[in-house]
This record gives sequence, C-alpha cells and structure tokens, in this order.
Amino acid sequence: MASQASPTMSAPAFRSVGRSMLLTVPMALWSLLMFTPSFLHAGPDSRIACGVVAAFMTVLFYQMMRTGTTYRWRRYFFVALGLLFPVGFIASLVAVRGSMSIPIERMVSGDTPFCYMVTPMLIIPAALTRTLIFPGSILPTASNPHSIAAMIGIWLAMTLVLGKAWCSYACFFGGIEEGFAALPKHARIRKLDPRFRLAPWAILLAVVLLSAVMFEPVYCMWLCPFKTVTEFPAVRDAETALQFGIFVALFLGLVVALPLLTKKRTQCGFFCPFGAFQSLFNKINVFDIRFDRTKCVDCGSCRSACPTMAITAESVREGKTLLNCMKCGACVDSCKKDAAVWHVKGTAVAGKPERARLLFLYGAWAMATMFGGSVLAHGVATLIHFVARN
Amino acid sequence: MTILPFTMAAGEALALGFATGPVCVATCGPVVVPWMLAQSEGVRRHGLQLGLFMTARLTGYLLFGAAVWLAGAAIPRAWTGRSWLLGAVQVLLAVSLAAYATGWPRRRPKCAQRPEPLVQIGEPMRGKARSALALGFLTGINICPPFLVAGVRAVQLDSLSASLLFFALFFVGTAVWFLPLLSLGLLRRTPAVVTVARAAALLLACWYGFSGVLVLIERVIYG
Repeated sequence: MASQASPTMSAPAFRSVGRSMLLTVPMALWSLLMFTPSFLHAGPDSRIACGVVAAFMTVLFYQMMRTGTTYRWRRYFFVALGLLFPVGFIASLVAVRGSMSIPIERMVSGDTPFCYMVTPMLIIPAALTRTLIFPGSILPTASNPHSIAAMIGIWLAMTLVLGKAWCSYACFFGGIEEGFAALPKHARIRKLDPRFRLAPWAILLAVVLLSAVMFEPVYCMWLCPFKTVTEFPAVRDAETALQFGIFVALFLGLVVALPLLTKKRTQCGFFCPFGAFQSLFNKINVFDIRFDRTKCVDCGSCRSACPTMAITAESVREGKTLLNCMKCGACVDSCKKDAAVWHVKGTAVAGKPERARLLFLYGAWAMATMFGGSVLAHGVATLIHFVARN
Repeated sequence: MTILPFTMAAGEALALGFATGPVCVATCGPVVVPWMLAQSEGVRRHGLQLGLFMTARLTGYLLFGAAVWLAGAAIPRAWTGRSWLLGAVQVLLAVSLAAYATGWPRRRPKCAQRPEPLVQIGEPMRGKARSALALGFLTGINICPPFLVAGVRAVQLDSLSASLLFFALFFVGTAVWFLPLLSLGLLRRTPAVVTVARAAALLLACWYGFSGVLVLIERVIYG
C-alpha cells in the first residue's frame, strides 16, 4: 500500500508569480465584494476579521494557482471552517440563550437554527403531509435568523454548482475530522472493509424512513455527532441524557479517534447520511475526477490518498471515481503520473484538465468564500472579541 | 351505538383509508422499503411479494377489526393494555427484520450430498414468502393513528361482519398508497443496493427493538 502522508508535501511551482496573481485577481475582487458590506457596517472586531478572512481566502487561492495543487490549500480553509464554526456558533448561543442546550419550549416556538443535514429527512413528510418536520422557522425571524428557506436556498445553489464537493468546500463539520486526520504522519489502521462506504446510504435510508414515522428529524435527535460542538436538546430526563451520550460517543469515535487512526474522514465517509444524499447530486454536476488510462500505472496512490475511499481498483480501471467522490483533489495531487485529472463531463479526459480544474475552482472557491468565508469571519471576530475583552 | 347505513359506512371506510393512507405508508415504510429493496428486481416479482405482504396485512387488520368489535369501544379508546401490544409488536418486528436482514437462522441443508436442481425457474420463494407474511401481519397489527381512528369508528357498527367489512374497505383505501412502492422493482439491483437495504433493515430492527423495549419498560415502571 502506498504511503498515506499528505499528497501535496512536495508540490513544485507550477505557474509564474505574475500569471498566478493574474488568475487570482477575480477571486480577490470576489472576496472584496463579499466582505465589504460587513466591513463597512460592522464593529472593529468584525472589520479586522473580514480583512483577515478576505486575505486568507485570496492567499489560499493564489497558492492553488501557483502550485497547481488543490488539496493542501483547500484543507487549510476547510479545517479553519470546521474549527471556527463552533466558536462563532457557540458564542452566539451562549450570548442569546446562556447555554449550548436548547430547551424543548424553544424548539416548539420554532427557534432552532436550521441545519442542512435535515434536508433529506424533510422530503417524505413534506410530500405526504405538507408538513416540515423541523422545529425552525421557514422565514428569518428576530430570534432565529437561520431560517429553513435561506439555508435550503444556499444549499441548493451550491449543490448545483459543486455537487458532492459541498462536503469539501462548504460543510461546517467535515473540517474537524479532516483536521484530526491530518495530524498523524501515518495511518495506524490501514485495512478498512470497503463495505463501510455503503454505511451512509443505509443510514440515509433508515433515517429518512424513520423521520416520516416519528415526524421528527431522527438523525438530529439521536445520531448527529456534531451536536456535541453545536447545540443539543437540554438534558432533562433519561431520554435526553441518552441522546447526549450518543452524540458525544459518536463524536469521539468517528470525528476524533478514527480519523487519527485511519487518516480518513470516517464520519463523512462511513456515517454521514447527508453525504450520501449529496452524492446523488454528483450525477447531475458537470465536474468530476477521471483517470487517464494511458498514463495510469496502477500504483494505488490515489486510492490511498482518498479520504473517503471513493476510489477502487475497479473504478480506476473504468477511469472514474465512485459516486461518493468529494472532489477534494487529494487523488489528483497525489498522482505522480498525472493520470488523475479534473474533468468537465462531455469533454475528452486527456483534453485540458487544468482548464477543467480552473473552472471548478472558480465556482467552488467563490461559493466557499461567500458561504464559509462569512462563517470564518464570524468565528475570527468572536475570538478577537474574546481576547480583547479578557 | 349509532347505526350507520351500510353504504355510508362503506364509503366512510374507503374515504378514511384513502385519506390516512399516506400516514400508513409512512408508518409501514421503514419495514417495507428496505425489505423490497433487498429483493430481486422486476415489477412482477415485487407485485407478488407486495401482494403477499398486503394479504398478511389485511389479515392483521381483520383480526384487529374483530377484536375491537368484540371488546367494544374499550380497546381503541382507553385500553390500558395497548402499550403492551405496541411494545410486543415492535419487538417482534425488530426480530423479524433482523432475521431477514442477516439471514438468521441459517438453515442447514438436509443432505449435504443433495444435488442442485438442473433446472430451476425463478428463485426459491419459501423464505421470501415467509418474511412477506410475517412482516405484513406484524405491520397490520402495529397500531398507528389511522388504525386507531378506524378502530373507534368500527366499534360503533352493529355487527361483527360490518366491523370486518369496515376494516377491509379501510384497508383497500390505504392500499392504493402502497402501489407506488412497486416502482422499487424498477431499480437496478446491484450487490451494493442489496447490502444497503439489508443494513438499513438491520438499523431499523435496532430502532424497533429499542423503542419496543422502551415501551415495555415504561409499562413495567409506570403500570
């Protein structure tokens, strides 16, 4: 088996400084556009945060252009997103509510911020009974600005552009385990049963059906590991205590321990039902990763680098990844023969992969800056506020 | 007791079944969908399996219809033993689903030397038929809100046969909503689809077992 070290450790310079800067200009302007309103109307903490995040996103994009690699730079952003989202979110909860826990009466009054993870669980009850089974509000309110309509709108727009790349460029949660997976130099557990990658589909099927019976988002109530670092139902009896215990156990197991041991995104790859749901959108998305069979030497480095086991020997022979590919770029960056390439559907695989990569990255990074950037800025502003006041 | 004209009661049973059918599909979905997804492909085969399932479900309905009429209004309205039944049915559903998902208990061949049949048309249906009948019957007596509504109405009828007819027509009304499930037969079956369906069935068995045991524990603690 090939080494599981980071696939981009020795990335050579790919473009000249001038050309890289030129390619970065649109993204720098986009960052300015995204952060200027907040910069002009916010307090000093948020202004500093907006400036820092705009620079951070622009520099990372520049590095992608300069080195021709994707995974490493995307990972910096994604891990920062995973770490800073809970910071800003928990701070907001504590400021508004005084606690990370949400009492049942607040849920009933529709004050629960909407999370995109619920989306697949809404479909059957909405179709059969015209009811949304999430205790949030459809439109933003003063007490709950994170409305269902806004979040589904953002998710849908990004999904149409990115497909399953949502899981690598937008998800609030995946960065935490990607950070843990990046810590060890080598994986301690290397042999993973390939059937594990089917588990998210089974969990998706089960939670979607159960949500229709229970008339509540079952995954959020019982199985979401990230409740541990966001919000959870207030522990008031044995049932809510059990729920909280499950959240913590899943978080420690799937988000901390297993990524450290396997160097894989185990929660995303082997558990997350939303990830499975998101995989379906890879079918309609125009971007994918392909393998040029004329260059591939079957070294297995792409399979080893893939954080979610989305590449098998058979899929490489067929010249493509599996449906659950997150387009993180790890396989492309790890391939020494340039056989793994970015690709626009309907074009030749051996055509112009760098052009396909650029097309994808402009869309993905623009979305990441717009959606994740604001989350990062909120987190950074919270940290600055916290440090400045203490 | 209000005596309803036969045609009115029949129409009401059909309408009630049709109106509450989506809830019935949602209630039975966790059992039916993974079970059907794990079957071999083809609308015809699925039709056969779904037919067996629905027959067993109808049997459950009629048994319940007879029980509520014989026991009077006490059962659907305030039968304290209802939670026992609910818990027990859920545990049995869990066992049936888990057995189906895992293929347990594995049957040992009667004779190790027995040759394979030279020609076999279709797949052996014995195990599948058994699972269809068991799951259909257990979902048939699994008390869900529409079922209780039908129960309340059925006890107001003046004879056992009218109560049974009411439940039979209620069943027909709900059955319409199960027909779209036949489209699952159009999905291409790969080993991955079957594995996913069986794993989902196992997860759902865990949930039914968990919630059934919880109901029984609550009954033991609170009486």
